[in-house]
Amino acid sequence: MMIQRYRPYLIRLLITSVIALVFVGILNEGFYLLQREQHDRAPRTVQIVVPIGTAERIAAGEAAVSLPEEMVFVVGDTLEVVNQDSVQHELGPIWVPAGSTGRLVLEEANKFAFSCTFAPGNYLGLDVRLPTTLGTRLTALALSAPPMAVFLFIYGLLAFPIKDGKKKKTLEAGA
Amino acid sequence: MRLRYILFGTGSVLFLALLLVGWRVFASPYRYQGSLIDPPPPAADFSLTDQSGQPFRLSDQRGKVVLIFFGYTHCPDVCPITLTDFRRIKEALGNKAEKVTFVFITVDPERDSVERLKAHLGNYDPAIIGLTGTRAELEPVWKNYGVYQAQRDEGSAAGYLVDHTARTYLIDPQGNWRLTYAFEMDHSAIIKDVQHILAER
Repeated sequence: MMIQRYRPYLIRLLITSVIALVFVGILNEGFYLLQREQHDRAPRTVQIVVPIGTAERIAAGEAAVSLPEEMVFVVGDTLEVVNQDSVQHELGPIWVPAGSTGRLVLEEANKFAFSCTFAPGNYLGLDVRLPTTLGTRLTALALSAPPMAVFLFIYGLLAFPIKDGKKKKTLEAGA
Repeated sequence: MRLRYILFGTGSVLFLALLLVGWRVFASPYRYQGSLIDPPPPAADFSLTDQSGQPFRLSDQRGKVVLIFFGYTHCPDVCPITLTDFRRIKEALGNKAEKVTFVFITVDPERDSVERLKAHLGNYDPAIIGLTGTRAELEPVWKNYGVYQAQRDEGSAAGYLVDHTARTYLIDPQGNWRLTYAFEMDHSAIIKDVQHILAER
């Protein structure tokens, strides 16, 4: 009986929820596509190979390792330093004995200036950013769709009030 | 009847989702908190003098996890924090701490005598092993562990300071270099890794 009474409201709420979800989804995705940057991606492994003879070339002031143009990472990326040189190397917290690979998961978004034994100047800057992934976009959708649905529902009630079923029936009978 | 189908369908979907999440959580390999060295090479062995004046050889610690930090007792910042972290790690490990050796190797042998080390480490935990030696004995150890150290005299009444590497090294029970930790690394991250390595055995 209760459900029957509030059925039109529930249906209206369901419809406004679907409209809000679609509207907010299109809006969010539109802005995401407009503002999308290279670091908006899922975490991955970024490998840096330190070839044999690097220490000698660095000591002679030469660039020995080809480093990515932009050292921009996202939280969750794994930074992998493959040391093929005959001596140990380090990149900030990653210390790699000769012939081994050092692997570190970047957990914190920040700009780092690390001491680096295979970069000219012995310093390397790393920019670790928070990525905009499918998960963060879905979270944004989950956070913004409910208030929009409530707003549309209330607006709908004011603009297009639901007619009372009993009154409607009485009026019909009277006529 | 229809409601029963809906409930059954929703329940099945939820159950499958839970299974999927559980599989993702438990089947994925352990992710180390520190910087992993792979393959782990044998850690360079050394023999130095501990705070009791007794010789300490790294290779004698086989079967235990060894955490090594290079520092000095007059250090105003990094070393006290790391030694406090060592104490916290030891406390958090409880009985398992018996399988972990905490080592503090000096980068200031001129001032860090056996007596000085004993008094200083007593402030944190006497179980932390402090190692010293002559500069000639320590230099190969620093070199093998990639430790930078340089004295810096700023005219302070407390004497000179020593700039040094602030990394912590984890050597596994097989005697291999396995992980390193930056100074900023939270001690709870080290605890997780140590527990995982101890459970591997």
